[in-house]
Amino acid sequence: MPWAKEKDLSDLKERFPGIDIKELENSTSVHVPKDKLIDLLKVLKEEKGFRLFLDHSVVDLKDVLEKEKDWRNLSQKGLIAFPEDRVSRFQAFYILYNVDERKKVIVKTRTDGTLPTVERLWFAGKWAERECYDMFGIRYEGHENLVRAFLWETYPYFPLRKDFPLEGIPEQELPSLNEVLFGDPLEGTMNYERRHTLVPTLEDLEITEKKRLKKKAQIVLNWGPLHPGTHGTMWFLFDLEGERIVQCDVILGQLHRGVEKLAEHEMYNQFLVYTDRMDYISALCSNQAWVVAVERMLGIEDVIPEKARYIRTMMSELQRINSHLLWLGTYALDLGALTIFLYAFKEREKIMDILEGITGARLTISYPRVGGVRMDLPEGALEVIKAFIKRFPKELSDWERILTRNRIWLRRNKEVGVITPEEAYYYGVTGPVIRGSGIPYDIRKFEPYDAYPEVEFDVPVGETGDCYDRYLVRIEEMRQSVRIIEQCVEKLEKLPKDAPFFAEIPKDRKIKLTIDGIGLKAPVGEIYSSGENPRGELGFYILSTGGTKPYRVKIRPPSFYNLCIYPRLMKDRVIADAVTVLASIDPVVGETDR
Amino acid sequence: MESVWVDLLVAVIKILVILGIALGLGAYLTWVERKVAAHIQRRPGPMVVGWHGLLQPIADGLKLITKEDLFPRYGNRFLYNLALVMALVPATLVFAVIPFGPEFEVFGYRVKPILTDVNVGILLVFGLGSLAVYAIALAGWASNSKYPLIGSMRKAGIIISYEVAITFAVMGPLILAGTLSTYQIVQNQIEQNLWYIWVQPVAFVVYMFSLLAETGRVPFDIQEAEAELVTGFTVEYGGMKFGLFPLVEWYIEVLTLSAIAVVLFLGGWSPLNIPFVGFVDPLFFLGPLSPYAWFLLKVTALFLFILWLHWTLPRYRIDQITEIAWKIMLPLALLNIVITSLIAPFIWD
Repeated sequence: MPWAKEKDLSDLKERFPGIDIKELENSTSVHVPKDKLIDLLKVLKEEKGFRLFLDHSVVDLKDVLEKEKDWRNLSQKGLIAFPEDRVSRFQAFYILYNVDERKKVIVKTRTDGTLPTVERLWFAGKWAERECYDMFGIRYEGHENLVRAFLWETYPYFPLRKDFPLEGIPEQELPSLNEVLFGDPLEGTMNYERRHTLVPTLEDLEITEKKRLKKKAQIVLNWGPLHPGTHGTMWFLFDLEGERIVQCDVILGQLHRGVEKLAEHEMYNQFLVYTDRMDYISALCSNQAWVVAVERMLGIEDVIPEKARYIRTMMSELQRINSHLLWLGTYALDLGALTIFLYAFKEREKIMDILEGITGARLTISYPRVGGVRMDLPEGALEVIKAFIKRFPKELSDWERILTRNRIWLRRNKEVGVITPEEAYYYGVTGPVIRGSGIPYDIRKFEPYDAYPEVEFDVPVGETGDCYDRYLVRIEEMRQSVRIIEQCVEKLEKLPKDAPFFAEIPKDRKIKLTIDGIGLKAPVGEIYSSGENPRGELGFYILSTGGTKPYRVKIRPPSFYNLCIYPRLMKDRVIADAVTVLASIDPVVGETDR
Repeated sequence: MESVWVDLLVAVIKILVILGIALGLGAYLTWVERKVAAHIQRRPGPMVVGWHGLLQPIADGLKLITKEDLFPRYGNRFLYNLALVMALVPATLVFAVIPFGPEFEVFGYRVKPILTDVNVGILLVFGLGSLAVYAIALAGWASNSKYPLIGSMRKAGIIISYEVAITFAVMGPLILAGTLSTYQIVQNQIEQNLWYIWVQPVAFVVYMFSLLAETGRVPFDIQEAEAELVTGFTVEYGGMKFGLFPLVEWYIEVLTLSAIAVVLFLGGWSPLNIPFVGFVDPLFFLGPLSPYAWFLLKVTALFLFILWLHWTLPRYRIDQITEIAWKIMLPLALLNIVITSLIAPFIWD
C-alpha cells in the first residue's frame, strides 16, 4: 500500500512538538493540534512534496464519545487524534498525495467547531470546507466565501452530524396532490404523512443565489439548473459583460441525496447500490472502487479469485469506454457536431447491450460484490466482447477523422481552458483532467487494484492542459481500455469454466463472507482507498468501529473537485467557451452532489 | 384594356406558383433535411407518417398549429408579433426577383418566369436580406428574456459583418454582367458563354460563407447554439410561431440565397458550361423543360451541400466568426473586385 512511512516524516516531530505519527496497517496519519495545522500542511506541501490535495472532511465523534467501548477500541488502534481530549466533538482529516514518490498521508486534528482554512494552500480545500460547513457546521476562520455547498442558505440543520436523524426532521406541512386538486384527504392506507422535511421555497433559492454572487457587470445569466449545456442539474451563475464572463459561480445540490448519511446506516454490501447512483454513467467503476475499498479494509484482497478480478477489470474497462463515449457524444454535441453524438451513442448502445446481457442491468448495475462478482459470465459473453473490441477501434478512427484535425474543432479547443500542472495540484483535479495537464496520475498504475497490475496499458498524458489535450487523452484512453479488455478476455478464456468467481475465506480468518454480504463485519479501523473512475479518482474514506455498518464514509467525488477549477477557467472567457470547458471537465451531477 | 387584365392574371398566377413553391417546398425541405441528416447519421429518419415519412411535415405543422400560444410576461406583444412578420415577409419577397427560366410564349403572350424583372433586382435582394436583422433583434428584445437577447445580439453582429462581405462578393459578377437585373445577369452569362464561377471562384467562396452565416447554418449557427443558449432568440416563442423562424431561416432564406448564387455564379437556368467550349446540355431530351430542370438541379445541389456541412461540422465561436468576416472574407472580396475590374474588359468582348 502506498502510504508514507513513519521514517519519512519523523523529522517533523522535532519541528512540531506535540504531533504524533501513527503508522497503521491501512493508513499513515499525522495527528496535529489545531493551532499547528496550517504550518504542518504547508511544510508537507512545500517541503515533503505532498502537493496534490485529495480530500478533507470531518468525522462527528459524538456517538463514540458517548460509548466507552468504541472509544477504547478506536483510541487503542490510534484512530483518534489526541484521545486524552474527550470534549472536542469533531475530528478533521486531510488526505494528501505525493505524486512524485507515490505516497499518501492523512493529517488529523480535533476541533470543537472551528478550524483554520486551507484556502491559501489548496483551492480544492475551500470547496471541501464549504461542504463541511454545510454538513457539520464547522466554521472556518479566514474562509473567503463560507456558504453552504449543497443545501440552501436558510436551511437550519447540519445533516451529517450524528444527532440529525436519518429520516430528517418532519416539520413542514405539504398536502398531497390529491388533497390540493380534489380536497380529498384519502383515508386508510392511502393516507400519507402530511409532514415532510423542509423543502426550499423560491425565496430561499433567491437568498441562496444572492449570497453566492455579487453582481459586478451587466447581466447575471442563470445557466441551469435545467439547461442542455450543463449535463445534469447544475446551476451556474455567469456575470456577463456582453458575452464576456466577468465572474462565475456554481450552485450545487440539486441532486443531493445524502449518500454519506445513508452509508452510515447501511451494511457494506447494501451500500453498493448507492455507489451506482452516484456516478450513474460509470456505475461499474464506482462499484469496483467501493468493493475494493471494503476488501482492503477486511484484508481479504489476496483471496479474491483470479476470475473475479479479471471479470471486474474487464467490466469496468467496458464501462470506461461507455462513459467516454457519452462524453465524446455530448462534447461534440455541445460544440455543434451533431452527427458524432449519434455515432457515439450507437456504439454505446452496443456496450449497454453487452453489459445487460452479462449483468441484467444497463445503468445501475451493482455487479461486483465484496469478495468477487455476483455471478459468472454467461455463455458467449466473451465472444460478443471480442467482436465489439475488434470493431470499435476502427469506428473510433473514423470519428477522429471528422474531429481531430478539423480546423473548427482545433480553434474551439486549442488554448481554451488551460490548466497548468501547478494549478492541477492546487485545485485537486484528477483523472483525464490532470493527465491532460501532463501529470501521469492514474490510480490504476499508482495503486493498482484487481487485475490492473497484471495487464499492460499506457497512460496517455497531454502537454498544454487545454481542452484539446483532454479530448486527446480521453480518446487514447478508450484505445487503452480496448487493450486491457483484450488481455482480460484472453486470460478469462484460458481459465477453466468452473473456476470460482467468489472468494472462499480461510477458516482461521473468522470473516463471514457471503454473496449477499449479510452479517459481514468489518474490524475496527480506517481506510482511504480509491479507484480510477472515468472522471477521476473516486476515493472512499471508511472509518469503522467494528460491526456491520461503517461509522463514517467520506466519498471523494472526482467531479466535485474537477468542477472547482471551473469558475477559474471561465474568468474572462466568452460564454461559448463555457460549454467547451464544462464538457471537457465532464462532471456528473449525481456524483458532485451525492 | 384587355392586356391589363391578362397582365394581372399572369401576375396572380405567378404569385400563387411562387408562394406555393416558397411555403410548400419550404415545409417539405424539413423532410429532406431530416432524411439527409438521418442517413448521414446512419439511421432511417422519419418512417412512420406516410411512405418513408412523406407526410411528416404535415403532421409537424398540425402539431405546431394546435400548440398553446404562450407569451412571456412583461414582453412587448406588438414587437413580439411584428418580429414574425419581419422575418417571413422579406424572406419570401426575395422570390419576386428570382428568374426560374427563359422567356416563353403562351397564347401569343410573352411571359417571363420571374415575378418582376426590376432593373435593380440584386439590390432588392440584399435590401430585403438586411431586414432580417430587424426580425431577430425585435424577437430578442420583445421576449424580455436573457437568452433570446444574447442570441439576437449574436445574430445581429454576424449579419452586419457578413452583409458587408456578401455585398462586396457579388460586386464581381455584377461588374462582369454590367447589370443589376437578375434576369439580365443570366442572359449575359449565356451570351458571354461563361458561368461566372469560372472567373469568380473567390467571390463564390465568400458568398457561400456569407450564406451560411446569414442563414444561421453550421458552422455559423451560433445564434441558436442549443448547448449554450437553448435555441437562441426563439426561446420564448411557442407552437407555429416557433416553427416559423427555422422555416424562414433554414429553408426559405437558404433557398433564396442559393437561387441567387445560381443566378450570379452558375448561370441560372443555362445548362452545363465548360470554359472555352460552351454550353453542353445532357438534359436535352426534356425539351422546353430543360432550363427549369437545370435551375432546380443547381439549387438542389447547393442546398444539399449546405446540409452536408450542417450535419458534419462543429460550430465556430462568435468572435471567431466575426474575425473571419472582417479579417479574411472582406479583404478577399475587395481584392476580388480589383482583379475583376482588370479582367472585365476581356469578358465583355
